[in-house]
Amino acid sequence: MKIEFTLNGSLTKVDVPFHWTLLRLLREGVGLTGTKEGCGIGECGACTVLLDGMPVNSCLILAPKIEGRSIETVEGLGRRDLLHPLQKSFIEHGAIQCGFCTPGMLMASKALLDRNPQPTRKEIKEAISGNLCRCTGYQQIIEAIEALKK
Amino acid sequence: MIPPFDYKTPKTLQEASNLLWGYKERAKIIAGGTDLVIALRNEALRPEALIDITHIPELRKIEEQDGVICIGAAVTHSEIFSSSLIHQYGKVLSDAVSEIGSPQIRNIGTIGGNIINASPAGDSIPPLLVLDAMATVVSAEGRKEVPLPHLFESPYQTTLKPYEILVNVQFKKLSPSMKGGFVRLARREGMAIARMSVAIVLELEKREERIEEIRIAIGAVTPTPQRMSEAEGFLKGRLPDEESLRKASTLISEAIIKRSGIRPSTSYKRPVVEALFKRAVKEALVRR
Repeated sequence: MKIEFTLNGSLTKVDVPFHWTLLRLLREGVGLTGTKEGCGIGECGACTVLLDGMPVNSCLILAPKIEGRSIETVEGLGRRDLLHPLQKSFIEHGAIQCGFCTPGMLMASKALLDRNPQPTRKEIKEAISGNLCRCTGYQQIIEAIEALKK
Repeated sequence: MIPPFDYKTPKTLQEASNLLWGYKERAKIIAGGTDLVIALRNEALRPEALIDITHIPELRKIEEQDGVICIGAAVTHSEIFSSSLIHQYGKVLSDAVSEIGSPQIRNIGTIGGNIINASPAGDSIPPLLVLDAMATVVSAEGRKEVPLPHLFESPYQTTLKPYEILVNVQFKKLSPSMKGGFVRLARREGMAIARMSVAIVLELEKREERIEEIRIAIGAVTPTPQRMSEAEGFLKGRLPDEESLRKASTLISEAIIKRSGIRPSTSYKRPVVEALFKRAVKEALVRR
């Protein structure tokens, strides 16, 4: 099935089986492996991408659903030579250990700061409540996001 | 691995019901997919076709008409939470859906899906019961309105025929004197299925502040959701004091046991249902 959508700002066309999830489409269809599969059932948030600016579990979205819509992944956030302020803040605050939850955490945080540039700590926790981290204990991640309050 | 299937995106309700009439049980309706995709992934379901109803404008609206709020089946939990209409006239529902899953799940999961999944712990259902919601069901045979409790057959099983589509839920706007309360208990604050929830709508009469009307539904404790009519009848005309609430909680526990039997968790749930019920009433009273 041919699917056309906007990916990190660019119009993109892929041809994938219609039973593929968005996660598989991104990783295998487009080759963007930044988005991770943690559980595959929408309970860990490692696969979080932004769909029309909203954080969603890409492992639960079937490919046809993104036709004509806009997807943002961690690859669109920044590059090694041009890191997004969130990425810099995560590094500075020790918010990355194994790094597996990180792309999902970054996308959920970006969505939060885009709609609410001055979140309270409670709002930060709520925004990442759909993202599990096994390594950090969350404290550094919360601080990294909080440091970007305008 | 999800087996191959066909994917249909009807643009009108007519188109959708005709498609479903053709496929009957060989097709499944998909809205957000947060429950369905998991079932497809573990092959609990193997439909030949999926019929995506999220492109039907009628199913995506939240509207008010003649004092009735109407929520399309494909409206997401996030959209319900952001709706000022529901916040004002059905807050018990917004409170409940705001605690479903995670932000990611709420952004694509729908109220229709939550209802049709028919989990005993479905969070949108107790609030809809205390809002006296009706459900509109459409098929090639026609359109009908059903009181919400009639949709539930048994856990994870609705009474809908394979060719019927849930189109919307509707409820009368709560008047300003009717206050809602919702309390949810789960292992974690987020991404945890409800162990127990209490949804109430409460109205006090003005002179002595006795209970004019109370509607109570407890989530996750009965095979299908129901109102606690004995407790509701008991409390009518009484003051919402410690003694009355405690007695009402006993009636609630008895109703739960009558329906679900005595289980290992019953000795835990009995005092907990009383505590949560009191919290929900307190919440409703504070809002006055």
